[in-house]
Amino acid sequence: MIYTDMVCPFCGCLCDDVVIETEGDRVVRVDNACTLGTHKLMTTRKDRLKGPIMRDGAGGWRDASYEEAIEYAAGVLLDADRPLLYGWSSTQGEAQGLGVSMAELLGGVIDSTTSVCHGPSILAIQEVGHPGCTLGQVKNRADVIVYWGCNPTEAHPRHMSRYTTYADGFFLQNSFRERKLIVVDIRKTETASIADEFVQIKPGGDYAVFSALRAIVRGRGAVVPPTVAGVTKEQLEKIAEICKSAKFGAFFFGVGLTMAPGRYKNVRNAIELVDELNRHTKWTLTPLRGHYNVYGSNEVFTWMTGYPYAVDFSRQIAFYNPGETTSVDILARKECDACLIVASDPGAHFPRKCLEHLASIPTVLIDPAQTVTTPLCRCQIPTAVTGIDASGTAYRMDGVPIHMKAFLDLGYPTDTEIVGRIFEKVKEVRHP
Amino acid sequence: MNELLVKNAYVIDPINRINGEVMDIAIRDGRIVEDVGPKATVIDAGGCLTLPGGVDSHTHVCGTKVNFGRYMSPEDMRAGRVARRGVKHATSGYSVPTTYANSYRYAVMGYTTLLEGAMAPLEARHTHEEFSATPLQDMMANTLFDGNWGIMNAIRDGDQERVTEIVGWTLSAVKGFGIKLTNPGGTEAWGFGKNITCIKDEVPNFGVTPIEIILAMIRACETLRLPHSVHLHCNNLGNPGNYACTVGTFNQVPDLNEKRQTLYATHVQFHSYGGSDWKTFCSKAEPVAYTVNNRPQIVIDMGQVMFGKTTTMTADGPMEFNLYRLHHDKWSNHDVELETGSGIIPVYYRRKNLVNSVMWAIGLELALLVKNPWQCMLTTDNPNGAPFVKYPEIIALLMSKKYRDAEFATVHPETGSRVVLPALDRELDWNEIAVMTRAGQAKALGITGIGKGHLGLGAEADIAIYPIRVGEVDPAQEYRKVIDAFSRTKYTIKRGRPVTRDGEVLVHGENTTIWVDPKMGPGHDISQDTEFVKMFDRYYSVRMSNYPVQDEYLKRSLRMETEAVF
Amino acid sequence: MRFLFNTGRTVAQGIGLDRKSGTEYAGATSRCMMNPVDMMDLDVESGDHLVVRGPAGEVVLSVVPAEGTPRGMVFVPLGPYANHVLGGETHGTGMPDFKTQTVEIEPTEREVPTVTELMEEIGGVAYEQGARP
Repeated sequence: MIYTDMVCPFCGCLCDDVVIETEGDRVVRVDNACTLGTHKLMTTRKDRLKGPIMRDGAGGWRDASYEEAIEYAAGVLLDADRPLLYGWSSTQGEAQGLGVSMAELLGGVIDSTTSVCHGPSILAIQEVGHPGCTLGQVKNRADVIVYWGCNPTEAHPRHMSRYTTYADGFFLQNSFRERKLIVVDIRKTETASIADEFVQIKPGGDYAVFSALRAIVRGRGAVVPPTVAGVTKEQLEKIAEICKSAKFGAFFFGVGLTMAPGRYKNVRNAIELVDELNRHTKWTLTPLRGHYNVYGSNEVFTWMTGYPYAVDFSRQIAFYNPGETTSVDILARKECDACLIVASDPGAHFPRKCLEHLASIPTVLIDPAQTVTTPLCRCQIPTAVTGIDASGTAYRMDGVPIHMKAFLDLGYPTDTEIVGRIFEKVKEVRHP
Repeated sequence: MNELLVKNAYVIDPINRINGEVMDIAIRDGRIVEDVGPKATVIDAGGCLTLPGGVDSHTHVCGTKVNFGRYMSPEDMRAGRVARRGVKHATSGYSVPTTYANSYRYAVMGYTTLLEGAMAPLEARHTHEEFSATPLQDMMANTLFDGNWGIMNAIRDGDQERVTEIVGWTLSAVKGFGIKLTNPGGTEAWGFGKNITCIKDEVPNFGVTPIEIILAMIRACETLRLPHSVHLHCNNLGNPGNYACTVGTFNQVPDLNEKRQTLYATHVQFHSYGGSDWKTFCSKAEPVAYTVNNRPQIVIDMGQVMFGKTTTMTADGPMEFNLYRLHHDKWSNHDVELETGSGIIPVYYRRKNLVNSVMWAIGLELALLVKNPWQCMLTTDNPNGAPFVKYPEIIALLMSKKYRDAEFATVHPETGSRVVLPALDRELDWNEIAVMTRAGQAKALGITGIGKGHLGLGAEADIAIYPIRVGEVDPAQEYRKVIDAFSRTKYTIKRGRPVTRDGEVLVHGENTTIWVDPKMGPGHDISQDTEFVKMFDRYYSVRMSNYPVQDEYLKRSLRMETEAVF
Repeated sequence: MRFLFNTGRTVAQGIGLDRKSGTEYAGATSRCMMNPVDMMDLDVESGDHLVVRGPAGEVVLSVVPAEGTPRGMVFVPLGPYANHVLGGETHGTGMPDFKTQTVEIEPTEREVPTVTELMEEIGGVAYEQGARP
């Protein structure tokens, strides 16, 4: 079978032009996807758990039925004083919504991988707003592209060909020649090597460089010293001029800003630079979101609770205070006494300090495959992969909602189904 | 069989010309019927004011930009939080509440049907997802066409038929309800940081003018036999002197439909400004209302401003940026490729600010100066002028000169020299309020035929019983009682089922989404047109096959099929 | 020697994301990219092993020369190895020190552990199952 216009369930680009060819329940060919997407689609059956597994009480593991695993998960959550429901980025919007309702009824905390990714970007947006646009707007109009603290070549491999440098656009005759590419990073990455301008900043210097650029754009360049965080004033002035003379500029950034010293203040300064540039010409800004539906978790959490991540229901109201109600903090303080992890792998991505606590409490993992988190949990329930053997909704990094389509049936239940069944059990005990 | 009998209701039902009769209302399976059996559940209205469920014909409650308003405003979320209780979810937000908060608060005020004022087609799926989380109202979405490339190209080429085909296909694909134009042409110009000042400016790169867009869309709307008319947010919103543009636009609108208006102009308060700058800023509600009074083909809504904190959000991206440059708080913008844009900023309307005081007066003036209440709907352009929870105060202001005078005494002292409000003695009656908050709105939207906005036999049993006895209260004097009554129904009944009682939410509920599916006949399917497909392939960032909203996104779907007549 | 510990995504790490039990993933995430001049100072060659010490503990990685990495900094792909030395401090932001931790690095003869060994070290229980046929 050949399936066209399929949606890739890897990164926040959510490419929806993928062609997949199957023979039986095997994928034999993938066209249009990048290395990352192709790999995920081609190897989808590898490492999948056959069925739920649980600790056997004797230092090992045993197989379990879905019914037993679901019963166990509900019991753990009902028994907890402060359950943490974490993950939600590589799953369907429908499962995310059920997760919020369950966290609400349990009086738990629900958080997505946002908190260790673009959480600081959201904090900045909550201070100063977000001048953005859909990616097609960039593709059709942008003549200057900035990638700052990110490496799309490695993390979002088709971003440049679908939306920026190599993409055809309505208002550009020859997009590759007419678009200027500026790359700013602390190390010379693959992306940097094809830039018209590469700006190498000393680690921790982003905030200062934004401030210098803002001063130059405002006509206050006199206050800028000869070098700022390793960047010469001459180069800063050149960059400012390119930005000001753009017809449409698009600023993309990654976790290079959100994880660097200054965290959300870096992003705030980036937004304020873009804001300043809008007084001269048109500029937009877009965070490069990682997991294909991490932005969906923010959207769903927001319309249901008012907050994009790190929502604490322990007082029956929705309470939000990143730094306190974020997963890393809750785990590092050894505060939660049970954890449900859905569609993410904190074993690979959380600091050791947090994982030590995760391993010491009853942790249930809902994930299709064996992952680094598997050894840390007490029970794992495998599910279908959205975009492969489950359909569902996802939000692209620019907020465009996309319907993900299934093309295989491997007999696994969906995340929505499993979360829903756990929730039903929870509701039997804790009536709304 | 599910039966309900509402006894001793003091009914005002303008569409059926019932103006204050005490009667019983029988309901079976969600519809109003002649009578019910002896086993029907009985609700005693006790002679209280009973109206058809409220209809809001222009509000922003669901979708990409509304959710971004929440996302960027934890301070607003904290300002409206209520704990989870019973069937009620925890809620957050004051001016941009969560979907559940919107739904509960509207229901408590007796509102059962809402029109989301602006849905970008590319992001329609998001709006529909939020509709499903707005359980106590029936929902519909006006669909944005103000900067649609395919349509602007067709207009430039003089191909009206193609304009109609694109509109028809898009509405059906995204499950939209009506045609919305927000600053037509201006949102496309904003793609490169520019704007449009009025209807005769040319849209950069497309060789068309806003008035050409407006008139072509009116023709498309009527050809498609859509229930609602074109719904227009005029060019040049919020600028001193913009009333001339507004009146100029109204004067170009033909009268093409016997059943309803040909143009619905929204939040006209924001478009009725005189003066040449902020120093000379003044009300021009009189010439605007005069134009409406002389042109039955126009229906407007107020877009009333009320003092306090709120969040402004509109598809009018360039306007929001200009507003941001006045307010300097925080600014979000979201352009949508080939279609439209949007912007959001928080604002604080202050009594001590002259411009804000004049704005407050203009909305009231429009409602009092437009003679026919069927031509002026009560709205705040929620949340742009104020959050919808302010509606009861607006009702009271319109019913009481005394209340207006008391409020007027607290606004900026120079306001009197800029407005006519103090000279207006008109006090609206209960029937007029019923028209402006449900009957007129349902008629303007073209949904009376599906049983909205009235209580006749066969109508949808959406009913609001307010705890006030009309004969015992003088609204001109006792305006506080009017505010209290409209703030909290005794009962709100949705589809024949009580959903709130004395402010308490009783059920979880499930919304119906009302959308329009125009049938255009063979030869009019634009999705088979090579040029249209090519435009999609090259310039959109999603594939055409992934664009339409699947049926599964609508929990309960009410499809209004129309038959186009080319 | 003290280094700034910078972690982040790479294609090889990303490919392994959905199959983290594989040896490719271990190989892709246990690399420590270092400026060649710093390697000379530490007297190590490509493929040699290093022990990295941070606030939460230590981990053994293999060194890879990288011209693009500035002196005084090492770059380690996002993953269980990099996280094995990190503490839970977020400075009130929810975001730990993925790119802002200072670590102590020295050469070692010890082997690079497997991902499973890392998880067992912090209280996990290894799970062995063949892939679904």
